[in-house]
Amino acid sequence: MNEELTSIGGPVCNEKLPASLIFAEGQHLTHQNKEALWDIFEAIGKNWSNTIYDSNNQRSSWYEMLKAKTENAPNYAGEYVNAIYVLNELYSMYGKDEAFKKLFFESGVDNSAPPTTRLAHCKIYVVNEFIRMQITAGGFKSWGTKYGGEQARNYHGFLGGTRYNRIPRVREYDPETTNSKNDDA
Amino acid sequence: MKNQYDYVIVGAGVAAATIAKGLLEHKHDTSILILEAGPEIIAKDRRFWWDYITRGERPYTFTYDQKFEADSTGNIEYQTDGVRVKAYGGSTMHWGAWCLRFRPEDFNLHTNTGEGADWPINYEDLESYYNDAEAFLSVCGDDNANWIPRSKPYPVPPFEWTAADGAMIEAWEQLDVVYQDGDIDPGTKTKIKSGKMPIARYRKCMTTGTCKYCPIGGRFNAQYVLDDLKNDTRFINFEVRVNAPVHKVNASSKSKIESVTYTDNLNGKKHTVYGDTIILASGAYNVPKLLRASKNEFWQDGIGNDYDLVGRFVVSHSMLNVVGKAKSNPNGWFQEYDFPTLMSHSYNTKEHQKKGKIFMFKNRTTPNVDIAQLMIEGKTREEIDEIVYGEMTINLQAFLEEKGKFSNRLEAKPGVDRFGLPLTTVHFSRTDEEMKNANDRLRLLEQVIEKMGLEVTSSRIDKPGGHHTTGTARMGTSPENSVTDKFMKVHDTDNLYVCSNAAFPTGSAVNPTLTLTAMAFRLVEHLKKTNQIKSKIEDVNTVDTI
Ligand SMILES: Cc1cc2nc3c(=O)[nH]c(=O)nc-3n(C[C@H](O)[C@H](O)[C@H](O)COP(=O)(O)OP(=O)(O)OC[C@H]3O[C@@H](n4cnc5c(N)ncnc54)[C@H](O)[C@@H]3O)c2cc1C
Ligand code: SF4
Repeated sequence: MNEELTSIGGPVCNEKLPASLIFAEGQHLTHQNKEALWDIFEAIGKNWSNTIYDSNNQRSSWYEMLKAKTENAPNYAGEYVNAIYVLNELYSMYGKDEAFKKLFFESGVDNSAPPTTRLAHCKIYVVNEFIRMQITAGGFKSWGTKYGGEQARNYHGFLGGTRYNRIPRVREYDPETTNSKNDDA
Repeated sequence: MKNQYDYVIVGAGVAAATIAKGLLEHKHDTSILILEAGPEIIAKDRRFWWDYITRGERPYTFTYDQKFEADSTGNIEYQTDGVRVKAYGGSTMHWGAWCLRFRPEDFNLHTNTGEGADWPINYEDLESYYNDAEAFLSVCGDDNANWIPRSKPYPVPPFEWTAADGAMIEAWEQLDVVYQDGDIDPGTKTKIKSGKMPIARYRKCMTTGTCKYCPIGGRFNAQYVLDDLKNDTRFINFEVRVNAPVHKVNASSKSKIESVTYTDNLNGKKHTVYGDTIILASGAYNVPKLLRASKNEFWQDGIGNDYDLVGRFVVSHSMLNVVGKAKSNPNGWFQEYDFPTLMSHSYNTKEHQKKGKIFMFKNRTTPNVDIAQLMIEGKTREEIDEIVYGEMTINLQAFLEEKGKFSNRLEAKPGVDRFGLPLTTVHFSRTDEEMKNANDRLRLLEQVIEKMGLEVTSSRIDKPGGHHTTGTARMGTSPENSVTDKFMKVHDTDNLYVCSNAAFPTGSAVNPTLTLTAMAFRLVEHLKKTNQIKSKIEDVNTVDTI
């Protein structure tokens, strides 16, 4: 249907939409919707190998975000349902694992332009936001260990947990023991 | 609607919140009305927080100053856009919460240098109020820090230096930046150490590092104090009206200020409210504009402006910025908090006053890698790993002290913004000598970056900006040299006060809000005393007339 297709997917993915948030006042997500969306979140951790327990340690934070985004205006339910349409088409075209690879690494979507197709809506309003959330909820920690170094403990936006937490909040500089703990690694 | 109060306060930022809290805790039934031009924006809302995390959106950005709302004239542009929050809570809705005391010499700038102005009070007059302000804002800081004389320890322990601070500390030590003769105990070679940045923690912080938008009310925001006061059943006569820009302060004689006039932005109706005492806590932009707009038969050029001083002596901070690059970051460091943890006062001393003091700090966001953005762009695990350990930038910054000059002036430009506040023109210039001094200071920062083994990739002096504007209704000893007296009462009036950075005769090299809060505590003490005296006189009069 579209000869100049530069992005992945078929007619559903490439259907034109206005760039503004899909209208969804009063709309709620079903349990099945949430499970379908969880697949995206879980796939993020798998594809970047930056999570443990199949992302289940982040599940409650993720639910909280979904709830906040669908129970208050502007309501994201329309975007979330759209993402499920897009995914279903991608699954049928490429199979599940390959669909996520294409969506994350070669979608052809310009992340800084207004999203004007179903696919672009899915990438910008759902996938990209899930990625930011995943990093904030601890996904940042896996980067920083390559040379046997100490992993990062904090990141802008990280909700560190309880006030009773006794684990140091950050990698600290201690002038007594010098800063060069990892230099020989 | 009630229209007579003990106190009418214009503006609902930290200054207003501190005064209201102090007065109400002293006498619970004191009647106070706060009038705020901007709207109320709900804070501590999880949805807003998630939008900030996932989209970088903050709920209050629409209240910021817009570029077209201010003109800038002079030989250097004054940045006003994107700065203040005009809303319930004022700019503490989005401030950094760094809480530094001014140093003793800041109160004697003119005596020490022949330039700028002296305060009519000294550091010692403010010291106990600094303690109160630090307790109120729950400032975390290092008790071993010796850059300032203090009589009480910080109420909260400091944040640790992050691993990424280490290289800069080591470079400072090699350059003797850390160790300098201090002013605290002259001649004894007291050392000024590199320090841990004091930050207002207020309530228990969960260290998310976000800090520009706190979902749990950890970082101090004047809104939270005002909410607490409104919800406290003891304070039955406390009221805040938002969407209520004040246009004019009205006088019934030269000395007696009786009321203010405001518009209810929701219906366009004008109202006049009367106060025994009127306090302008509307920020360094709006205090002078309001005073000058308040012309009457007693004050032909605006209240407090008989000597054409209102709005003059604008002081700001310019930021010095030097960025260095290293080829690699083998430890995968990044600045793990979204606020600076490392600072130095070595050039924030009396010795450096003449040339312009600087306050140095490691920038709050470097080194850093926006991992999520790389993922969004489709970079793979391996590619991101390479970037994390690859090129690293570190940014050293400093605030540069400015000196107030008669010709630098802030005034109203015709027209109003969407909240009904007058637009602004800032006339601001620097002398050649000041420009040279600023450039010399920049070289100093470059040396540090080079000592760290980094290549300097950018070195610049940012525009002066509205974030820390001070001096526009400064305090002093007489109407000929200032707008207010040492208690921030407008000269020749009995009951009009300015509680704002506007009243600061100097801006120091550090952020202003802790000093403002200390000044607000001092004002509360003064009002408690004066009004006690006043009510005694009134009692006597009542007895007399019976
Ligand atoms: C981005 C940013 C970061 C900052 N970070 C720091 C920091 O880390 N540390 C620090 O010490 N300081 C910091 N500051 C400065 C700090 O925010 C201010 O010093 C402080 O908020 C000033 O408080 P205030 O109560 O005097 O005024 P404001 O917060 O400006 O409040 C005044 C209020 O009065 C209202 N108003 C104005 N005119 C009228 C009128 N005519 N009628 C009715 N209402 C009116 C305004 O809408 C506003 O809400 C920062 C400022 C900015 C902009
Ligand atoms: S670091 Fe603390 S104060 Fe700042 S946003 Fe996070 S919880 Fe709030």
